[in-house]
Amino acid sequence: MDGPYSSGPSTGAAFQPLVDALLVGDHKRAAAVAQHLVEQGCSRERIVTEGLEHAMGLLDEKCTVESFNLLEIMLVGRAVSAVVRVLYPGGYAPTEGRATFVIATLEGDVHDLGKNIVRMVLAGKGFRVVDLGRDCPVGDLVSAAQHEGAAAVLVSGLISPVVSQVRKLRPALRACGLAHVPVVAGGAALKQLRPEALDVDYVAENAFDGAHYLERHVLGTPGS
Amino acid sequence: MNSLERILRATRLEPVDRTPLVPQLFGHAAITAGLSLRDYLHDGEALAHAQVLERERYRTDAVFAFLDFGVEAEALGAPLSFRADRYPDVVGCVLRAEDDPSRLRLPDPAAAGRMPVCLQALRAMRRRLGDDALVAGAVAGPMTTSAQLYGIENALYLAIDDPPRLAAALDFATRLAIAYGLAQLDAGAHAVIVFEPAASPAVVPPAFFREFVAPRLARVLGGLRDGGAAFTWLNIAGPTAGILDAYARIGADVATFDYYLSAAEACHLLPQTCLAGNLRSLDFLDAAPGVVEHQARELVVAFEGRSGFLLSSGCEIPPEAAAESIAAMAAALSVE
Repeated sequence: MDGPYSSGPSTGAAFQPLVDALLVGDHKRAAAVAQHLVEQGCSRERIVTEGLEHAMGLLDEKCTVESFNLLEIMLVGRAVSAVVRVLYPGGYAPTEGRATFVIATLEGDVHDLGKNIVRMVLAGKGFRVVDLGRDCPVGDLVSAAQHEGAAAVLVSGLISPVVSQVRKLRPALRACGLAHVPVVAGGAALKQLRPEALDVDYVAENAFDGAHYLERHVLGTPGS
Repeated sequence: MNSLERILRATRLEPVDRTPLVPQLFGHAAITAGLSLRDYLHDGEALAHAQVLERERYRTDAVFAFLDFGVEAEALGAPLSFRADRYPDVVGCVLRAEDDPSRLRLPDPAAAGRMPVCLQALRAMRRRLGDDALVAGAVAGPMTTSAQLYGIENALYLAIDDPPRLAAALDFATRLAIAYGLAQLDAGAHAVIVFEPAASPAVVPPAFFREFVAPRLARVLGGLRDGGAAFTWLNIAGPTAGILDAYARIGADVATFDYYLSAAEACHLLPQTCLAGNLRSLDFLDAAPGVVEHQARELVVAFEGRSGFLLSSGCEIPPEAAAESIAAMAAALSVE
């Protein structure tokens, strides 16, 4: 069984080629480097923490409000997925004990690229993310939050019709005894509005901003 | 000075009697006219009637034959999903990631999909308004159309995996934008706005914009100008600070800027270009009318002495926006 102290590269420098490949979004090279590390006997956990999570942290620092763009994030996300497939051919198990989030693009909005980015960022940090897809009814999202024991509910919206759906979310959660579950919104349309106007706890400027909020205010950890 | 004259003078940075009022009111006109959005998007006469009504209600200086971002893809065979009160969604891609765009043929704007609806609307609006107000058409830019044809994720991955294929798609979409835009000018549009949301820096980095998109946009704007457009207009929402300075080189006479940039920043980046903006579009849903009026007035003041400004929103004002908020924007001009 893998462990953080198993054999393999002993310094973080050994992971630099993987981090470099991830940050330029070269999914083929990233997968090849990860395969090489595995063959050297490096543990999966170290590859995740010193490779994937380190790269995500660097990307986080790079992605300011002014420079955040979907293309670069998507390329890194694809490279991360390629490495995950090398490490976990049977499927990626989130870090044990980390929180579960449920996420969706609500009914009336089929644009889910932003949601997918958030899912990728949170999964890259080891969280379990239950993705209900796009055009999702509020009731389905609330049911999933209940069933999954979600630490927070996340909604993304690119277009304005979704605003009225977001405003239904808190009352629906309350009606199911989930008043304590925080709601975080994001996306081009939703981020133009204040949290109180949407009846949510936080409106994230981008995926990393949302992840920081969840780490600091929902989970009570320092965050990256 | 009538509305069209006012706008034309602003595009040339010449003095005007008051700031032109050119809010991005598209589907909202359907609501004003008591139409479903679906009917509005399928009937050019109804669209024209609703736009003229909208202009009369808010005393704006322009009408728009903007339908939605599915028009170009639909004309090439993409299936769309329509609902009564929402813009349609493209629910199937014309091209798979491995498909060569060279197999596509330019559609006939007079017959393909809902392109004839747009042309019918332009003819009707021009018939009603003549040269009293700006009659504006609309086309999707090359990146936006490519994203609709491939799906945005596949289109973006092509930029890295197969740049020549993306370039071929962009070139096809460029020819499509020019052909569709020229048909709109023939139908009576004074100008055709080029909307390119998929090239926003929120989606692609500025370097990508300059390498892949800007040269094609220059061809589109040049083609429209050569085809008789009174002026050219490039509309990209989002945080455009990293690309706005390129608009003048591309050939845009009017540049939309969104709420991410201040008026001063936009003026600094484009000192010799007419600017349109930049009220926050969702404020028309949420903010008190007094707030909208105050922000609009501040914008007008910020452009005093410069000319070359169209009071507008940085993105479309949502169809469900409050009438009071739109009226408040218009009221900001009454004290000029």
